[in-house]
Amino acid sequence: MNKIIELINKIINKSEKLSNFTVIVYKYNRKYRNMTKTILFALKGIFKFYMPSTKLSKGMQIRKIFQKLKIKRNSDRFIYYLDPLKILNIKNFEIENTTIDYEIGLEKSLEEMQKENENMKDGEYKENQKQLLLGIEELIEKEKKIAPNEQVANNLENIKNKKADGFQEALQRILFYNQIVWQTGHHLNGLGRLDKILDKYYKKDIKENKITKEEARSLINEFMKLLHENFWFKSNALLGDTGQVIILGGKEPNGEYFCNDLTYMFIEETEKLQLPDPKVLLRVAKNMPRELMETSVKCIKTGIGCPLFSNDEVVIPQLINFGYDEKDAYSYVTAACWEPLITGKSFDQNNMKTIVFLKPFTEMLNKENLEEIKNQEQLMEKYKTYLEKYIDEFFAELDARKFETDPVMSLFIPHCNQVEIDVTEGGAIYNNYGATSVSLANTVNSIININKFVFQDKKYTLSELNELRKNNFENNENIQLKDQGIRYGKDDDKVLEITNMITKWVDEMLENKTNRIGGKLKFGLSAPSYIDESKDFEASLDGRKKGDAFIVHISSDITSNPYTELIQFASKIDYSGNRFNGNVIDFMVTPSFMENNFEKFTDFLILSIDVGFFQMQMNVVSSETLIKAKEHPEEFPNLIVRVWGFSAYFNDLPEEYKNVLIERALKNEGKSY
Amino acid sequence: MKVRVTNIQRFSLQDGPGIRTTVFLKGCSICCPWCANPENIKYEIQGEFGYDIELDELEKEILKDEKFYKSGGGVTFSGGEPLLQFDKLEPLLKRLKQQNINICIETALFVPTSLLEIALKYVDEFIVDIKILDNSEAKKVLNGDIELYYKNIKKLFEQKHNITFRIPVTKEYTLQEHNKKRILDLLEKYKPQQVEIFKLHRLAESKYKTLKKNLIEFKEVTYDDMENFLKEIKNVKINAKICKI
Ligand code: SF4
Repeated sequence: MNKIIELINKIINKSEKLSNFTVIVYKYNRKYRNMTKTILFALKGIFKFYMPSTKLSKGMQIRKIFQKLKIKRNSDRFIYYLDPLKILNIKNFEIENTTIDYEIGLEKSLEEMQKENENMKDGEYKENQKQLLLGIEELIEKEKKIAPNEQVANNLENIKNKKADGFQEALQRILFYNQIVWQTGHHLNGLGRLDKILDKYYKKDIKENKITKEEARSLINEFMKLLHENFWFKSNALLGDTGQVIILGGKEPNGEYFCNDLTYMFIEETEKLQLPDPKVLLRVAKNMPRELMETSVKCIKTGIGCPLFSNDEVVIPQLINFGYDEKDAYSYVTAACWEPLITGKSFDQNNMKTIVFLKPFTEMLNKENLEEIKNQEQLMEKYKTYLEKYIDEFFAELDARKFETDPVMSLFIPHCNQVEIDVTEGGAIYNNYGATSVSLANTVNSIININKFVFQDKKYTLSELNELRKNNFENNENIQLKDQGIRYGKDDDKVLEITNMITKWVDEMLENKTNRIGGKLKFGLSAPSYIDESKDFEASLDGRKKGDAFIVHISSDITSNPYTELIQFASKIDYSGNRFNGNVIDFMVTPSFMENNFEKFTDFLILSIDVGFFQMQMNVVSSETLIKAKEHPEEFPNLIVRVWGFSAYFNDLPEEYKNVLIERALKNEGKSY
Repeated sequence: MKVRVTNIQRFSLQDGPGIRTTVFLKGCSICCPWCANPENIKYEIQGEFGYDIELDELEKEILKDEKFYKSGGGVTFSGGEPLLQFDKLEPLLKRLKQQNINICIETALFVPTSLLEIALKYVDEFIVDIKILDNSEAKKVLNGDIELYYKNIKKLFEQKHNITFRIPVTKEYTLQEHNKKRILDLLEKYKPQQVEIFKLHRLAESKYKTLKKNLIEFKEVTYDDMENFLKEIKNVKINAKICKI
């Protein structure tokens, strides 16, 4: 049997087509959750599978894909369909974690785009765009044929030579271009500021009595359902991780707060639909209406995990300070999870890799002569040298990455068309890279512990303490490394000083580094990888045992840490320089707590904006429910939880994710395992 | 100057209006058999329970969440019987008042009236317990002097209006007809701004264990019992609600 599997693997590895097909089959298995069904599918699917040759130009490959697409009708009001069996052969890094500027698609007809293309100088860029545009034209024709009615057919036809006009048409056009982005192999695709983008279409239709408010709401509902439909295909590492984020609300350059009927509708429909995706992110500001916060709290209260809040009062100044144009900063969206992004102008790859702060720290503990480290200053100095080496290598690895030429993304960045340079080669205005980070909390807590146990109380020498760590604290569970009063997440000067010192170093280390196309590397203090990176990671001096998860985003592992304490702590973290690449506070709340304190909880969130958090998300679920759901998944098919930047069905999560959530819920409730 | 506390709880939502920081002062003048904070009854430090804190330090802790007090919140002194340490606390109360921090206390009022008089100078919100109003029973069960309690109530209502009464509901005491009647008479006489009634809970069980004490079992109070009692209170035209903890 093993021999056969080996042989199959060999064949698969030899054939690019087969190995790409295997990835698709794997995704179908997530959909069916049934091996037999998957195998049956695979046997049929292989004949429908298509992947154009990479010998063709990128534009041509995309056009070929569009020609081969089998589009099915799945709604009476829109056409939106993905064909998982037609894919591009992607060999390098593909742009991901981004949001195209849908306004361009709404405002510009295909004809105009083609005219622009005709005026370009001959060459690869022009050719790729030309084929892409032809492909789009052919796709429109194909979709028109199966349109359920004349209105939908017209909405599609208009893409060719008209600006979008009307609410339903605008939604159709967003779906159309969104489908193209997915179909061309991009992952984690956001949707942008839909309340803002759709504002004028909605208002015009309402004014001209073309639709009612309720009809608009029902269109939004359908729009979101369609986006959710293929979430098994769209999901990245974990089911639910699709990056389909809708950005709502936001502060305007004149200081006013923007929101409209649609802002409310998107949140209310999210609450109603109870689907893990698409998710909504609300940009909040001091002068936002209380009613909007109440609507959000009602939605969060259901446990759906969103809206996530992004605090414009803190985020926007940091974007401007970093160097984004003021107007751009005010119109930011986020990459899949939290990382601020300027659409229509950026190549910015915000989620390339995770800085693991504990890695250089542990390396230091393993390599240094620890007896020579006599005080906290020396400890910090040593750590800094290891961190610097780590960051250098980290940056070099990112800078060496090669990206797939990307005509689709370039099409939605006007600057690329102006300079006729592909987005991956520097055609965009902003060309930054972004990293997430994890285990800063564990590192800070380790330093605090060393300080206390070694330098202050002199209970152990550093090498003795390190030996205990290397032994995974076996038989030494009573040394109370986890019980120290001050810890990451406490509003304490000392904790903040260490935290800000370390991130400032990284900020300085990156100051003079530019990537191959002139961009910077930004980073933030939240990351998806608190489980993946920690799985095989040694024990750490914060009391974490080998393999245990790292502390999640900006959160605390202190039992019953008050929310105000965490907010104050997070608000005193320095996000300046290039430290703004997503910084989300993450905490657990029990549904009954929220229910019993609805008004005060709303007050708390509104006041937190002024206190100055960066971003915030929460899981509203009790430990009791989670424990029951883990034991009897069949009774909780619809339980949704927030995972990192996305929501997912609890039952779809790997066991270790379930455990982390349960443990955190218990801690929040002041209970122990 | 120092006071003795067991805990400073930020983000308290149950101890008065808005978002508050609750300071649990150690030491009590009576001894309720259902006490939810048994570690606060004795003034003496008991193992992990209790520490002394300088008023400056305490002030700093209280002001940490100042921005959240805009919700109508502030600081709540609870206990134990917070009034017992109010003479020591007075300089801090004065400073908090100057900074416009809303001050609330949760008191059982079994204290010398001189201490209440300090509170009357600074405290904005009073949450006052009604426990057992029968003279001999109060003595026997709580070790409290009910005459002192009534005297303090009178004094309090002469000067303040925004007073909330809190009533722990037990079949053994509160709901006994003779006691209930006294409660309703008291409410009718003073017309407090609000009454909150609540069921006992056993969340403090582990603390009782640590203190090597026993938490007595009380008879089950049903939903109907609570609703009926609520109705009776509302009948004397008092704004009342059931409080969920
Ligand atoms: S008055 Fe309060 S603290 Fe004192 S014994 Fe009674 S319940 Fe406990």
